[in-house]
Amino acid sequence: MTVTNEAVTSSAPTGRGSTSDSGRQRVLLFIERYALVVLFILTFIFFSLWSKTSSTFPTAANIRNVLGNQAVIGILSLAIIIPLVCGEFDFSVGSVSGLSQVLCAGFMSRLGAPLPVAILFAVAIGAVIGLSNGNTVARIGVNSLIVTLGVATAMAGVVEWYTKGQTIVLHISKHLTDLGSGNWFGIPRTLYFLAVAAALVYYLLEHTPYGRYLHSIGSNRDAARLVGLRVERLVLIAFVLSGVLAGFAGVMLVARNGTASPQLGTVNDTLQALAAAFLGATAIKPGRFNVLGTMVAIFFLAFTVTGLSLAGVANWINDLFNGAALFVAVLISTIVGRKRAGVG
Amino acid sequence: MDAPAGRAGEAGDRGQTGEVALRISHLSKAFPGTRALDDVSFDVRRGEFHALIGGNGSGKSTLIKILAGVYHGEAGGTIAVEGREIPADRTSPEAARAAGLHFVHQNPAVFPTLSVAENLAIGHGFERTAIGGVRWAAVRRRTVALLERFDIQARPDTLVRDLRPAERAMVAIARALQDQEGEQRGLLVLDEPTASLPRAEVTRLLGGLTRYAASGQTILFVSHRLDEVVETADRVTVLRDGRLAGTVEGEDINESRLIELIVGRPLEHVFPEMPPIDSEQVVLELRHVSGGPLVDVNLQLTKGEVLGIAGLLGSGRSELLKMVFGAFKVRGGEILLDGAPTHFRHIGDGMRAGIAYVPEDRGGEAAFFDMSVSENMTAAIVSRYWKGGRLNQRRADADVRSAIGQFLVQATSERQELGTLSGGNQQKVVLARWLLRRPKVLLLDEPTQGVDVNARAEIYNLVRRAVAEGCSVLVVTSDFEELSHVSDRVIVLNQGRVTAELRPPDISPTTLTELAYTSREVAS
Repeated sequence: MTVTNEAVTSSAPTGRGSTSDSGRQRVLLFIERYALVVLFILTFIFFSLWSKTSSTFPTAANIRNVLGNQAVIGILSLAIIIPLVCGEFDFSVGSVSGLSQVLCAGFMSRLGAPLPVAILFAVAIGAVIGLSNGNTVARIGVNSLIVTLGVATAMAGVVEWYTKGQTIVLHISKHLTDLGSGNWFGIPRTLYFLAVAAALVYYLLEHTPYGRYLHSIGSNRDAARLVGLRVERLVLIAFVLSGVLAGFAGVMLVARNGTASPQLGTVNDTLQALAAAFLGATAIKPGRFNVLGTMVAIFFLAFTVTGLSLAGVANWINDLFNGAALFVAVLISTIVGRKRAGVG
Repeated sequence: MDAPAGRAGEAGDRGQTGEVALRISHLSKAFPGTRALDDVSFDVRRGEFHALIGGNGSGKSTLIKILAGVYHGEAGGTIAVEGREIPADRTSPEAARAAGLHFVHQNPAVFPTLSVAENLAIGHGFERTAIGGVRWAAVRRRTVALLERFDIQARPDTLVRDLRPAERAMVAIARALQDQEGEQRGLLVLDEPTASLPRAEVTRLLGGLTRYAASGQTILFVSHRLDEVVETADRVTVLRDGRLAGTVEGEDINESRLIELIVGRPLEHVFPEMPPIDSEQVVLELRHVSGGPLVDVNLQLTKGEVLGIAGLLGSGRSELLKMVFGAFKVRGGEILLDGAPTHFRHIGDGMRAGIAYVPEDRGGEAAFFDMSVSENMTAAIVSRYWKGGRLNQRRADADVRSAIGQFLVQATSERQELGTLSGGNQQKVVLARWLLRRPKVLLLDEPTQGVDVNARAEIYNLVRRAVAEGCSVLVVTSDFEELSHVSDRVIVLNQGRVTAELRPPDISPTTLTELAYTSREVAS
């Protein structure tokens, strides 16, 4: 034991940094965590005061509209971060929501199915696709990006076949469309669903062993296996959960629009959700895909794009802005991350 | 093993030419919170095999990075190569290359899926035809000449991934040196080229390096392994806490003198005495076990015993541990735990039965670098903190804080990312992860690989503590010196078979080396 004690004291001085140093690090970390939140608030204030948008932007109607419209993309981004946490891409979420949308509406419209059955079926379709994705990726070991990209393309074909390119409008349950258009306490109803879904995913990823296991798998798959985790099963479940959420997002699409259009729920939505997930990984818990950061990212992007279009900026700016925001955020977080590593 | 012996005589006269190939003067470097280098000066003579050693955090990697131009030193220091001075605050990769410094790093940057010829041509440039295509015949010719010059056992078309690790490292070295003007000018800097190589490959690589040195090549060699430094170096410079602890040569290069310089005091016992075995109770038994490279392996491990396994890479030593853990398929025979046959369907079953496994490849199979010390330490006991529908992170952190003290981990907080700790401290975290489960049987595969002398002593002290509490240990290490100190008993694995069993006082590094290398069966 004497050896041990000597060893500790002799090497201790190199172990700790000075207090001013750790203080600086803390400030850096704080900036990194809340930069996106602060940017969001600043943009919001800017559009509220700017003469071109001050009359339209900060109105209850506009805010309600933006919030209500983000439920679907918000749920899709939740669907995409669960597999991302364990290091897998699910490129199919957008297309799965498109399929579940037309099936949900089609069941009511063509088969006269009652609403609960239609919803259940739409969500179940998501689960089944997730199961198939998960099986192919986790058990057989095919690259998830390729698998889910293939599935996404195929689903788009199925949607086209099922709808013959026509929007489904008739006999859609009024209960569902009311959910999509009405408010509770002045807040769009769809937002409550997003809030509940976000809370559930947050709880799952941050406060359950399952979430911790997913993070471990994402960090080092072999090490995860060697601490006794059943990696295949856990990854498979991640894809199923992702599919369920994507299926639910399809139901939300019908609720919001009152119809089911084959033009909605596509790879484009996947890309938007993916952008939000990556942008979100630069905030709140930098370096990790996290629910709060992703939600901040969703609303930051949505309000900025709305502000710009209210100011009369041409439509193509939206895509350009979404892409540029992601690019800049990831760039900055990489640079800050490097600085931090250099200090340590 | 024989190559270094032949060099002992030459070392003397080469040192005496006295020409300085590299002179480092007053080199300093501060990082926020620490002085990584503090006024370090030393010379490397022309044609010398010069070793640079020191514990983790001693500043040796910082020094190499300044030489390579990755970091800048502080103004006032200088680096002179063959008389040409570079101010320490103005180093750059270009300046290093122009001065004739060639670097080969740990995990040499070779391209496994490309051929030897392609690997060598990247770096030199391909011979081209008039319209820009590659003249493969010319590339091949140059490759053959290079392979001959560096005495590498390979053909130009072989894919690098099919080479032995030592040859891979030599390809990287040949690539670094191929363009050297006037063959022996300049300096070859090797940054722990042997850290991830198994013993047999180290011997091969060192043999190759010794031959270049004998032909007049100046080599600066950074290493963790004292035995290889003692075997090969003409002079040794030791750093400690960023300062020069001393430079030794000739007779003075021996392990105890070097350890004294590294840790700053004589270290009587790097390896603690393991407590005596006070029980005959057999905890683990292997009966006629086969699978992978293993053939009919029988062994018994008693309570509180440390059983060493000596064997070369490919002898089946790692597979043996993995089989006991349930991570490798057992084809025949039985494994019994406390007298009952085990049927582990997956790793969790082995863990629940009281088995713990510290893998050889820390980076690949044990560490979650981007996760916190706390998350790493509790990775095998996460479910303990799942109470009332919530992961109790606060309690986990509190447990980890006390474990950090108990396991001698140097970390600023339990939230620190594992990747920012030194190798030795990372290994202590991995060991703590398993000892927190209070295992019956602890399987250690190369537990001190890439770890400095101090951390090595601490790691074995932790193991000793577990053994005192009744844990039994199976330990594999390529360092036979280490194995002979920590083991109560050693079995020798040779090509998948147990060929010998040794007890004190017969356990010695020389005997183990002989037995591990010879393929004949030895009666015990």
